[in-house]
Order: sequence, then structure tokens, then C-alpha cells
Amino acid sequence: MDLDRILLVLSTLVFIGGVAPAVAALRSGHWRKRSWQWLAMLIGFSLQTASIYLRGNEVGQCPMKSLSDVLVFIAWSIVLLYFLVGPSFHVSLLGIFTAPLVVALHIIAFALPGAFPAYPPRIVDPWVELHIAISLIAYAAFALACITGIMYLLQERLLKRHQIGGLFYQLPPIQGLARVIQRLVWLGLLLLSVGVGVSLKLNIPVSNPKLIFAWMVWALYLLIGLIMWRQSLSPRQTAWLASVGFVIPFISLWLVTTHA
Amino acid sequence: MPEPEVTPPQLVCLGLNYRTTPVEVREKVAFPEAKVADAVQQVRALPGFEESVVLSTCNRVEIYAAHKLDDGRAAHAALIDYLTRHFDLAPAQAEALVTYKLVTIETARHLFRVVSGLDSMVLGETEIFGQVKAAYKVALDTGATGRTLNKLFQQAFTVGKKVRNDTTIQRGSTSVGSVAVDLAEKVHDLRECRVMLVGAGEMSRTCAQSLLSRGAKSIIVSNRNYDRAVELATEMKGTALKFDEWEHALHEVEVIISSTSAPHFVIKPELIEQAMRKRRWDPLLIIDIAVPRDVDPAVNNIEGVYLYDIDNLQAIADEGRKERERQLALCEQIIEEQLERFGFGSSGPRLATA
Repeated sequence: MDLDRILLVLSTLVFIGGVAPAVAALRSGHWRKRSWQWLAMLIGFSLQTASIYLRGNEVGQCPMKSLSDVLVFIAWSIVLLYFLVGPSFHVSLLGIFTAPLVVALHIIAFALPGAFPAYPPRIVDPWVELHIAISLIAYAAFALACITGIMYLLQERLLKRHQIGGLFYQLPPIQGLARVIQRLVWLGLLLLSVGVGVSLKLNIPVSNPKLIFAWMVWALYLLIGLIMWRQSLSPRQTAWLASVGFVIPFISLWLVTTHA
Repeated sequence: MPEPEVTPPQLVCLGLNYRTTPVEVREKVAFPEAKVADAVQQVRALPGFEESVVLSTCNRVEIYAAHKLDDGRAAHAALIDYLTRHFDLAPAQAEALVTYKLVTIETARHLFRVVSGLDSMVLGETEIFGQVKAAYKVALDTGATGRTLNKLFQQAFTVGKKVRNDTTIQRGSTSVGSVAVDLAEKVHDLRECRVMLVGAGEMSRTCAQSLLSRGAKSIIVSNRNYDRAVELATEMKGTALKFDEWEHALHEVEVIISSTSAPHFVIKPELIEQAMRKRRWDPLLIIDIAVPRDVDPAVNNIEGVYLYDIDNLQAIADEGRKERERQLALCEQIIEEQLERFGFGSSGPRLATA
């Protein structure tokens, strides 16, 4: 197995190792925030970064052309945003909710038929690289909005059903979570706008399916963003939208990469 | 020439608390905050005594000391004598003082339990940690502590932190007031919380005070008796509202505490639905502590509304107490391990009262 794949497997194991005891503690109702949970995320992230770097060297460009590579890049972006967003929004527990998604993305990346293929040699267009990288980081923001939405729905359910226990005390206030969801959707939308804006500079026909998918996802999140801004739906419905809405960009990634 | 053998000072603790002594007696031997510095010096100046710390709170009066007397009994007798003289107790009062008299490991164990909140009236409460720290600081600043008590108290603070970090002894609420605060904190940022009291009963006042003490933004009080509303609002630096006006202000608050004596539902779904539309479904916590209930239970089905009645609050507080009691064994185990670690040897008798 190539070194980049070995590092990726190791990072997956670190994420599992970091989150499994915390999940067990959560289930027993005795979860406490520990520095080693954060450390596990940091080590996992470092291994991910090294793996992506080596993979980039191997294929001679940013490794974002196959679905496996795209999933790994999104997983990496999710952890990056977790480090940026988690502490600033005081969203404890986000790591525990983030790590399983990252692990799932890694596993899918490995399980895909023809995972991590060799790339055909071609001239690297920096605008294409920029467009892909920014768009994928935007998708990671939507993924974190999805995770935060799940946290909101959990806390909301506990409050509504009067189930005041271990998890309830650890989850942030629902109003705070609603704000984080909004900010993440807006951040993702802003990044995706830049990403699709850059695509206008590319020598690609508008009818290209990749661009169509990118514009569709942009339109969907613009709609979600407008709904949030206009407060047309309740925060709970918005959390549902942010959680379920992520299915669309996830599917679009598969469609886009199969048209590569 | 061999150095003369130096005997290390012995630890003792003489104390009385809410378990051993009723408040009428406790208040007679409580040290006012301003007098604690003098007290630690006076204890230290007793013959044979080298160091002292005085902890005096509403629930306990304890003197920790290091001495070089022949045995702990003599040290305890000297401390009792000091208390009797200091507070000018009549012989009958001195005789009636029920105190615990602890030596060495018992003293350390007791202090570790006190800082961990295990000896508190509300099991696991955290305020005592700060009170012990303050008492120690007073003694330290006046030079009444030395190597023995400095070490003991530093160890105690380490143990206190460990107990809180490694267990959930402080988690959960144990009173209706603190449950209200916990719930409000999980719905909104308390600093942005405006609270409305509908009815000015004693229980709603307690809940509102708990919320204010933890940082709630403002209070609105509405009561059938407007004078009472004004009185309560003034006491809590809030605003009073006439009873026929509260419905119009519902959409402006994040927490409603209802405790009227009305025999029927005062807060109905139609009213809250209207308020929620105006609030754009911004979450609303309603605490109904009235019996019979003020709030129609159907209100809990409205999007973004979280309704808790007195039974719900009581059940949560009961569960919080049970959870803390479940953690007690684990806390005691940590304390025993730490006693061993700090070289206090095998466990002895826990608490001797006389």
C-alpha cells in the first residue's frame, strides 16, 4: 500500500480511537470534555494533511479529480473548519459529531471501486484547481452545518421531551446552534459563490454537467440561506433543512466525479 | 555530632457544621469575615500551636491547625477553650457544643471531602471550593500557615479539582430554581434572556432570582395585585406590568414563569401561537409552577415552545440529586487514592463527634 494510503488509514484509526471512548462515555451519560479528544482530532488532521500532500505529489496536481480523493479532501476540510469554527462558536462536542462523518467519508473513499486511481497526465490550470478547492471547502462548511443541525435536532428533542440527562448538559443552547447553522450556511454559500464565480473564468462550456451541478447546489443553498434570512421557517425546520440538504451536494459530488 | 530529631507538627481539625449543630448555635460561634484574620493569628498563638486556618461559612465553622502538643486531645481541648473564651460562651453553651474532633488522616480526609463538596448541604456544590480557598488565603496572607498546612491545603485543592474533573458530582440541578436556570441556559444565552413573571409567588421569585444571579438580562413582573408586582420588580431591578397588559408583552421575553392562583388555564395555545409568530419562532421557555396549572399542556406542542410544570422540574431536581449520590462512591474512592498518594497511609475512623 502506498504511504499516502497508509497515513489515511492511520488517521482514520486515530479519529475512531479519539471518538469511540467519548461516544461510550456519552452513552453512559458521563461524558466530559477532555483535551485528548481535541488532540486526537489534531493528530488525525495532521495525518490527513500528510496523506493529501503525498497523494498530490503522486498525481502531480491537487488530488481532487476522483471521487475517493474528493471525499478525502472534504473530510480534511471538515476537520479544518471544525478547528476554525468549534472554538470560536464555543460548540463543545462538535468533534464527537464531526469525527464519525470524517471516518465514514474515509471508509467510503477506500471502499469505492477503483479507489484512488492514477490521474492522466495533463497541464494543470490553476483556476481549475482554485475552483475545485474552494468549492470543496464550501461543501465542508455545508457538512458542518449538517452536523450542527443534527446537534440542534437532538437538543431540541431532549428539551421538548423533558429528557434532561448527560447529553443535554453537554450540548450548547439551541439558539446558539441555530446561529452556528446560519453562519456555516452563509460561509459555505460565500465560498461556493467564489468557486462558481471562478468557474466563469474557465474555458468550459456552460452546459458542462459539473458546472450545472455546482450551480444547482449553489441555488439550493442560496434558497436555504434566504429562508434563514427571512426567518420563513422555524429554527427546527431550518436545522432539518441544513441536515437533509447536505444530501444534495453529497450526491452531486458522485455525479460530478463520474463525469470526470 | 548527630542533628537533634525534629518532630513534625500534627494536624488537627475542630469543627461544627449543619449536621452536628443547629443554626442557633452555629451563629454564636461563627467568625465574621473581617475577624477571620485575627482569629487565625490567635489560634496560631495558642501554646503548642504553629499554624492555623479558620473556615467560617453559613454551614460550618472549622479550625484547621498544626500543633506540637503531646496528642490531638490536648489540641482539641485548647481549641474548644479558645472558642469558649472568644465567643464568651456560658459553661452550659460550651458543654452543648457538638463538634467533630479530627486528627492527621481524618483531618486531611475531611478537608478533601469539604473542598470536593461532599460534605455540603447540597451535595457536590462548588461554592465551598472558593470559600476554602478564601479562608486559606487569609491565613496565608497573615502568615498563619507554614509548611504543614500549606501542603495540606494545596493537596486539598488538587483533590477538589480532580473529583470535579473525574466525576459528574457537580452536574445536574438539585433544586427547582437551578433546574429553571439550566433549562433557560440550554434554550438561550442567559445574558440575552428577558424573563417575565406572571404572578408574584414565592417560588417564581426564587426562580427569577436564580436566573438573575446567573446573568439574565431583565425581569418583567405582572401580578393581579399591581402593588405587589411593583414591590417585586423594584426588589429585582425589573419593571412591573399591569395584569391586563402581560399578554401583549409575551413576544418580547425568552422565559415565562407563571405562578398565578387562577383556578383555570391562564396561558392558552392561541395566545402563545400568536406570540411565537411575532417572535419568528425564536425559542420560548415556559415554566409553570402554579397548582392548579396556569399553562395549557397543549402549549408544549407549539413549534419552539418548551413547557415545564412543577412536577417536571421536581422530577429533574430529584434525578439530579440521585445522580450526585450515585457519584458519591466514586468521589470517595478518588479521595482515598489521593490520601494514599499524599502519604496519609491507611484509612482510619472517619468522623468522631463529641
